[in-house]
Amino acid sequence: MQASRARLFKEYKEVQREKAADPDIQLICDDSNIFKWTALIKGPSETPYEGGVFQLAFAIPEQYPLLPPQVRFLTKIFHPNVHFKTGEICLDILKNAWSPAWTLQSVCRAIIALMAHPEPDSPLNCDSGNLLRSGDLRGYRSMARMYTKLAAMPKKG
Amino acid sequence: MDGGQSDANTSSATSIPTASSSYEDPNRCPICLEAIKQEAYLDRCFHTFCYCCIASWTRYVSRQHSRSVSSIKCPLCKRENSSIIYGLSGNSFQRHYVNEALGSSFLTRAHKVRWQCYDIEPGVMDHKFDPLSFWKSRRYLQENRFLQAWLRREIQTLLQEEDVEIIMYHVLGLIESFFKRQPKGHHLQPPEEKRGEFKKLVSDAARSFLSTRTDRFVDELELFLASGLTLDAYDKVCMEHLHVPASLVPSGGSAEDINVQDLRDPRLCFPHVDMD
Repeated sequence: MQASRARLFKEYKEVQREKAADPDIQLICDDSNIFKWTALIKGPSETPYEGGVFQLAFAIPEQYPLLPPQVRFLTKIFHPNVHFKTGEICLDILKNAWSPAWTLQSVCRAIIALMAHPEPDSPLNCDSGNLLRSGDLRGYRSMARMYTKLAAMPKKG
Repeated sequence: MDGGQSDANTSSATSIPTASSSYEDPNRCPICLEAIKQEAYLDRCFHTFCYCCIASWTRYVSRQHSRSVSSIKCPLCKRENSSIIYGLSGNSFQRHYVNEALGSSFLTRAHKVRWQCYDIEPGVMDHKFDPLSFWKSRRYLQENRFLQAWLRREIQTLLQEEDVEIIMYHVLGLIESFFKRQPKGHHLQPPEEKRGEFKKLVSDAARSFLSTRTDRFVDELELFLASGLTLDAYDKVCMEHLHVPASLVPSGGSAEDINVQDLRDPRLCFPHVDMD
């Protein structure tokens, strides 16, 4: 649809112009398909994800921005609201609370906020949710930290 | 071990999309991110959008509900709003209720279909009803007995007002006398010129009532005349177009494409003769 293409192109130009605006987010559009994007986001500080770089895949529907983009983690992450195998994200704004005023950039910011503030009561990853719900903060943090180190930290050397 | 979630039970993000510097520009529509075209406001929170953008979002939201909805949440602040205010000029404005029946019950489904036609890109129907051939073959010499009903409904739709008889007769009278008028050497006049004259005449007459919608109205009028269809058949074609957006249909057309020839009123049909 023409409207979605125009809007994505607008976002693309915005991203190019303000590359430095948000150092925690890097959005990259597929070379040949404006409906496919990837993003690299930095794990928020003072969380077990700090120091990690997480890759997100965006698949954008033709009715965008009436419909939300489909986003999932490509990088493994241990988080109550992210499916451990598929990377699916459980976040209201990507579902029924979507508004066309969100952009790919602001969706990335919402995901970073979700990383810092997990919601154990709507878990996609029950192991992670149960650790938090039972109050085992230490257990959750060490698991999340381990996977950040394994999957999201660039190998040194 | 995974799973157990439902859509109703998702984790929530901040309620307002966090705007970055450039997204805060008040002259920019938060939906298309372009400069606002046809400024429209929501009636409670007064956030501004392009008319088409907020109208298509409203339509999209209402389609998600089985019952008709009477309010929509503002995409920016989530406040419930019951109408869209637009067409501000001087001290007048127009209002489109989210639940249209709330404001104007005379509007039928056919009115709504026509209303939606104005939201889609112009020109999508041109390939169905070739407007130029209408002028070339001088089909306007044949009286169109559906024109009056079409005009009434179209003007009602655009003004969202029930009593439009004066405007309707004014425009109808102009059109009919234009078609009847046959100045000397009229058959030598190039069809493009005749067409231009017609469009100018109608838009000059209609502009004070229809303002920004005038040009599109004139194009739609021409398409209706060129279609040579009865009102019912014309509505059918319009509906077909709204349900199957052109972008979803491969350029070859779809199997459900209505065969326009089958629906033509034979009395409005002239053999296709090229006059040049």
